[in-house]
Amino acid sequence: MKKSYRLSPYTKNFRFRLYLLFTGTIALLTAAFASFYVMTEINGYRITLEREGRLLATILAQNARLPLFAENREALTLLAEGTARYPSVLSVSISGTDGRLIAESKSRKETPADAVAMEVSITSPGRVLSPESVLLGHATADEERVIGRVRLRLDSSGARDRLATLVAASLAIGTLFWILVSLLCYQILKRVTASFNMLMGGIEEIGSGKLSARVDLDGDDELGRAANAINAMAASLKLRELENLSLQEELLNAMKMEVQEEKKRVMARLIHTNKMTSLGLLLSSMAHEINNPNASIRFSGHMIGKIWADAVPLLDGVWREEGEFYLGGVPFEKARLVLAENSAKIVENSERIARVVQGLRDYGVGGGAQLRQKLEINATVSAALSVLACRMKREVQLSTSLGTGIPVVAGSQQQIEQVLINLILNAMQAFPEGEGEVALSTRYDSAAAEVVVEVRDNGTGIGAETMGRLFEPFYSTKLESGGSGLGLYISQYIVVEHGGRLQLSSVLGKGTLARVVLPAGQVN
Amino acid sequence: MQFLMILLGLLLLSPAQTQAYDVLVLQSLHEKGYDEAVRGFKRECRAGMRTLVLSDFAEADVTRIAREEKPRLIVAVGDRALELAQKQNIAPVLYMMALNPGRSRSVSGVGMLLDPARYLSVFDSLGAKRVGVIYDPARSGAYLKSAEAAAKRGSIQLVGREVHAAKETPAVLESLRGRVDAIWMLPDMTAVSPASTEAYFLFSQSERVPVVTFAEIYLTMGGAVALAIDRFDIGRQLGKMAQRLLEGTLIEEIPPQYPRTALTKANDKVVRRLKGNLGAGAW
Repeated sequence: MKKSYRLSPYTKNFRFRLYLLFTGTIALLTAAFASFYVMTEINGYRITLEREGRLLATILAQNARLPLFAENREALTLLAEGTARYPSVLSVSISGTDGRLIAESKSRKETPADAVAMEVSITSPGRVLSPESVLLGHATADEERVIGRVRLRLDSSGARDRLATLVAASLAIGTLFWILVSLLCYQILKRVTASFNMLMGGIEEIGSGKLSARVDLDGDDELGRAANAINAMAASLKLRELENLSLQEELLNAMKMEVQEEKKRVMARLIHTNKMTSLGLLLSSMAHEINNPNASIRFSGHMIGKIWADAVPLLDGVWREEGEFYLGGVPFEKARLVLAENSAKIVENSERIARVVQGLRDYGVGGGAQLRQKLEINATVSAALSVLACRMKREVQLSTSLGTGIPVVAGSQQQIEQVLINLILNAMQAFPEGEGEVALSTRYDSAAAEVVVEVRDNGTGIGAETMGRLFEPFYSTKLESGGSGLGLYISQYIVVEHGGRLQLSSVLGKGTLARVVLPAGQVN
Repeated sequence: MQFLMILLGLLLLSPAQTQAYDVLVLQSLHEKGYDEAVRGFKRECRAGMRTLVLSDFAEADVTRIAREEKPRLIVAVGDRALELAQKQNIAPVLYMMALNPGRSRSVSGVGMLLDPARYLSVFDSLGAKRVGVIYDPARSGAYLKSAEAAAKRGSIQLVGREVHAAKETPAVLESLRGRVDAIWMLPDMTAVSPASTEAYFLFSQSERVPVVTFAEIYLTMGGAVALAIDRFDIGRQLGKMAQRLLEGTLIEEIPPQYPRTALTKANDKVVRRLKGNLGAGAW
């Protein structure tokens, strides 16, 4: 394990791998060539030996032809001995066609097992004719007649010696050649891979993030072109990096701005919450401040009413006895009715003030107990109209269309009344010229089980920008004329609290429709 | 098969199948040399003739043919034809292209061996005084006697060596080493066999003596001079003899003849090489 770890840096080295590959290939090729050379040489040696043997045998056969024909044993023995004197010849024998041995000669060597045997036929000359045939003009024929055989055994032990010598020489030369070529290869690879290493160094430097680095490699070869390409790539990456940095900066700025905007919005909400808290406190304080004198007024009204009720019979007696008299510049007969009516109104309006204040207080403190009351929408509309009776303008025509069979709605009549008052007041303020029509209608949407109240005017309408901010608190187009910017905000809150929805739609120049939709029934 | 051949032979040889003629040509076999000689014969002899090639028949009864067809002359071409022709004694026989014709009373012709004097003149011109010659007495004894007779008339000494088997030739040649100036190679079947032929030329090479032979083919093997027969001319020569016979000359009056024409060829390279070793008369 340690070894492989130690070797791994080398094995990952391109130069080392190439060197290993080259030297391995050269070793293989050298071995192959050496083997081929040895085999060729040995084969050549054997072939030469056989050729030499065949040549010797053929010469002997040629020379032995006449002695064999003449059955001259001495001559044949001489010939055999002469041939046997050749170093590679182990034995020579000459025999007739019947296999009878006529002459034989052996060298002193022992006959090895792998001796090469050679046999050549001794033939009479084929192109020679008999005298009769010659005289008759016969054509010569190539038919050779075998008259005997020459057998040679050749010593092939030289091949083994030669093989050993050749193998040793080939190994020595091959090893020397391999070492020399390997050294040469190393030098060549060193030169060749120097550029490669330079390229790799440049790439690694660029890869490590130093995009300003460049591969300092000249030349128009593949490596040079690769270096140029990598330099171009690095330049391009550098450019991209700069662009990225710029974009990042822009993004950060944008995010900062977004955060600031969000912060502003949050702050606005916080301020608004704070305002609402303050408003609640203000409302509570106001309610307290108003309730006390209002209670006094209501008490006074009651007292006036009671006193007046007690005083009327007495005054009636006076009137009957003394005739007409004036109270506060008003004749008693008229004052009698007006005072009773006004005292009742004092009480009624005082109670109304109390309810309003209670409502504001409930809003301020989040009270919702009144939401479970039964609410008749038409009565609520009438109550709202009665409140606004004194503020009705002559130029504005108000028409009402109250639906029948409208079920009761669970909720606070006073709050819904307040909503309607807000909507009607807004409608009445939609006429800059002063003249216009406001239509108020109620109906029951049985399909959806909803009670709908609509306030429609044919005023100037609401612009798109204003429409988007209508339900924002303290947003008002009439701040300069006393608008608080809380009417629609509170109205929407009340309607939503009742489980309904407040919808506003407007066409600029044609008018606005405000629709209050409340769920019917659901009263405990 | 043999029966059918005999039947066919009898049919072809029957007198009814043939017309009258003067010369019956018996040819041993279809052979280029025989054909050449027969052409030469026919050129010279204009008599009517019938030619029978004996190898075409399994058996030919020449005596019956001669008796029935009564040719005035039988021309035997080759040894076998001569042998068959000699079995009848109805018509005289002229032979040609026969290597061993022998001697007979009613037989004459042209032999295949040239006049020894021609060879001797060649040896003489080569400057050779001692001429070695190997022969089988059974085959060439008579020829050698006439050669010796002719040699005695000149200054050439024939050193003759007898052989009775072909295998003796190399050893006999060895016995001539240092004793001869030239070798005369006779067309003797015993002395010259295919196996022993090269011994002559090896001897010639080692002893530096020329070999005078009887056919041009031996010049390529190392022979110096060849005196060859002209087969066409032998036919013509025999044609003249036949003409004389047909004109009334008795066969006993016409002795056998040597071929009148000899075709002399020399291997100039061999002759040139051996020149220094030959006498003043060398070519």
